[in-house]
Amino acid sequence: MRAVVKNSIGIFYPQGFIDGANARNFLAPADIKATTSLKINMLLVSLKKVVFFNKNGMDILIGLLGECKKDNSSISLGFCDYDDSKFTTMMKFFKDNYSISLFRTAEVAGLFGPSTSDNKEKNILVYSDDPSQRNAITIELHEHGYNPISTLTREEFNVKRQSEETFYEIVNNTHLGLFGKKIGTRVVGNAIIYSIDGFLDAKMNDIFDMTYHHNSLSVGFTLFVFDMNKVIAMNVHGVNFFSHLASAGAEFGATIAIVGLSFDKTPRTFQEELEDGGVIFFEKLEDLLDNKEIMDELGGDESSIKHSKKSLTKIIVNELPNFISATVTTLEMMTSTKAVKESAAVQKIAIDSTEDKLASSIGFYGDIDGMMILIFPRTIAKRACELLLGEVSDKTEELLDTLAEFVNIIAGRLKSLLAEKRIAINITLPRTYEKINTLINSISEQKGVQVNLTFKGERFTFFLTR
Amino acid sequence: MVTAKELSKYIETIPPAPKVLQETIELLNSGDLVKASIKALEDKALTHYLRTLVNRPIYGFTNEVKDLKQIFGILGLSNAKQILCNYFLHLIVPKKWELFSINNTVFEDLQALLNVNWNLILSYENIDDKDISSSIAILPASIIVCEAIFASKKDDVELLRSVKNIDFNTILKRLSDMDLFDVATQISKKWEMPDNIGEILQCASGIKPSQDPQTLKLGKYMHLLFFYALSSPNCAGTGLNTFLEFQPEFIVDIYDNFSSVIGVEQ
Repeated sequence: MRAVVKNSIGIFYPQGFIDGANARNFLAPADIKATTSLKINMLLVSLKKVVFFNKNGMDILIGLLGECKKDNSSISLGFCDYDDSKFTTMMKFFKDNYSISLFRTAEVAGLFGPSTSDNKEKNILVYSDDPSQRNAITIELHEHGYNPISTLTREEFNVKRQSEETFYEIVNNTHLGLFGKKIGTRVVGNAIIYSIDGFLDAKMNDIFDMTYHHNSLSVGFTLFVFDMNKVIAMNVHGVNFFSHLASAGAEFGATIAIVGLSFDKTPRTFQEELEDGGVIFFEKLEDLLDNKEIMDELGGDESSIKHSKKSLTKIIVNELPNFISATVTTLEMMTSTKAVKESAAVQKIAIDSTEDKLASSIGFYGDIDGMMILIFPRTIAKRACELLLGEVSDKTEELLDTLAEFVNIIAGRLKSLLAEKRIAINITLPRTYEKINTLINSISEQKGVQVNLTFKGERFTFFLTR
Repeated sequence: MVTAKELSKYIETIPPAPKVLQETIELLNSGDLVKASIKALEDKALTHYLRTLVNRPIYGFTNEVKDLKQIFGILGLSNAKQILCNYFLHLIVPKKWELFSINNTVFEDLQALLNVNWNLILSYENIDDKDISSSIAILPASIIVCEAIFASKKDDVELLRSVKNIDFNTILKRLSDMDLFDVATQISKKWEMPDNIGEILQCASGIKPSQDPQTLKLGKYMHLLFFYALSSPNCAGTGLNTFLEFQPEFIVDIYDNFSSVIGVEQ
C-alpha cells in the first residue's frame, strides 16, 4: 500500500478490517521507506474506511510505522480520520503511548505540518478534556502561525462550535504525542518565522527541518526569522548552526534574522559574532514585521518575492524534453484533451493577459536545480482539477489546492524520468498563485524557457527558470 | 487515460460462455445434479477447475474429493451453480497480474473465501435462491476488469494516487462515466446471467443503493464481505484492499449481524 503524501504528511489509507493477522500486510517496509524518503514530517494511518480494528492490529501498525524513525527520528507518528467512538477506543489503547498522536481528521493533522501560507487570520477552535493537551495543542497551533481559540469546558466548546463558519478548523478529539521537539514554522507575508524555545545547542541540527528550509529558499523566500522569545540560552554550537545557515543562505540572497533573544544567559559576544556573519537582530518580532521598508528590502514583504538570477545550465536545457513531456502527459491525462505545442523559446516570461489565470510553481534541487512555473487559464485549471475533485469547481481555494497536487504529480513524473538518466532531484513544496501579477513581476527580469501550449484552443504556459 | 470507447472494446473481447458450461447450468436450473455432473465432465478444464476449487481448505473437506458427481452432491444445487459461475471468471482471468501483486491462486482463494462466507450469510437470512447464491461469483469480475483496464496505465494511476486518496472505481467513473461494476454487469449480461445478479452487483459497489429492500440488504452484505475478504492477509498488501472505496456508512445497519455470522473476532 502506498501512502498519499501532501504537505510533508504521509497518510496510509487501509480499508475494512485490521487485526493481528493482517495488519503486517497493510504496511510493507518498502512502502514506509519510500514514503520516508520523501522527507515527510508526519506519518499517519487513516481510520476513515476502517470498520474494525483491535489492539493487536494497532500495535503491529505502530511498530511498522516506527520503522521510519530509523531514517528520521523526528517524524511524528499517529492515526487520523476517526469518529468519537474510535477516538475513545484509541485513547484507551494509546493514552500513555507518547510516541503516538491522534488527529480527528487529516485536515487537523495538516495544521501541525509545514505551511507556505500566512495563517494569522485563521481561527482554530480548540477543545480537549485534558488541560495539558489543550495547552499543548494551543501552543503548537500558535507556533504554526494560526489564531487558536481555546475553550475550557465542553459546554463552552459546544456553544462556540455552533458558529462553525467563523472557524477555519475545529480541533477536538485530538491528542498530541511527542510534538514538543519540533520547531514551529509559519509564514508571514513572504517571511518564514521559526519559533524555538529552550536551550540552543548541538540539538539544533537534529530538530531543525533543513529540507523545509532548503525548499523555502528554492521557491524564493529570502527572509527567515527565528523567534527566540522562549529561548533560555544559546551556546557555541547554536552560534555555529546560525553561522552555517546564514552563509548557506547567502547564495540565494537570503537573510537570517533573530528576534527576542535575551542575553541574560547568552554572551553578548555571540550577537557580534553572528552579526559579522550577516545575521540581523531585533528586540521584538513586531520591530521587524511592522517595518515595511526593512521587510521590502529583505524580501519579506508580500509583493517582493525575490528569485535568484542564475542562468539555465546546459544540462537543464538538454533535459527540457523531459520537463515538457512530464507536464504535457499529465495535463493530457487530467483533461482528456490533446496538447498542441505553439512555440518554445529562451526568453523572459511573456503572458498576453494576467486576467482569469491561476499559476503554480515547484522548485527542484539536487543534480540540477531550478523552478518550473505553470500558468493556467482558469478554464484549463478547472478541467485539470475535475478528475481529482470529482466535480467542476469554481472555488478559487479548491482550485489552487488541487493545482498544488497537480504540479506535485508533474514533478513526481519528472523525478522518475530524470532518475532513468541517473539525474537525482528533490522537489520542494508547491506554491500556487491566485493573482499571477506578483509572480510575473518577480521573475520578469529572468530568462528561462517558455513553452506555449494550447488545449482545445486555450493557451497554457510552461516556464522553466533558475 | 481511459475512454468509454476503450471500455466498449474491452467488453467486446470477453468470450461467450462455453457450450458445456451453459448446458451444465441449464441442467442445474432444472434440478438435475447427476446429469449436470456428467455434462461438466465433457470439459476437462472445467472439471479440473471445479476439483481444485472445492478442495481448498476453506471448503473444509478432510479428504480430497475427486468425483464430480460427489462434489455436486455435497454442494447441492445452489452451491454447485455458484462454483460453476466462478468458472466464468476463470475464462477472463489474466495470465499475469500486473496492477495487483497477486497470482491466480490468490484470486481463486479469494473466490472461495467469498463463496463460503456468502453461503453463511444467505443461510442466516434464510435465502435459498440459486441466482442470489451465484451472484457472489461474479463480484470479483470487478477486480479482473480493473486489472485489464489499468495495468497498462499503472504508472499514471500510481502518480495520481500518490497525491490523492482516490480509488480505481472513481477514476474510471470520472474518466468514462462508467464504473467497474457497470462493466462487470455488462459482462454478466453477455454471459446471459439473470438480471438480479447484475442488480445485486451494482448495489454491492456501495455507491448505488437499490430501491428493492432485499437487493439493498444483500448489496450491503456483499459490500462488507468484499472488504472483509480484501482485508485478509493474502489480499491486504496486494493493492486489492484499496482498488475500490469502502463505504462504512452504507453497511452500518448490517454490521453486527455480519460480525456474528462470519465470526469477526473482537
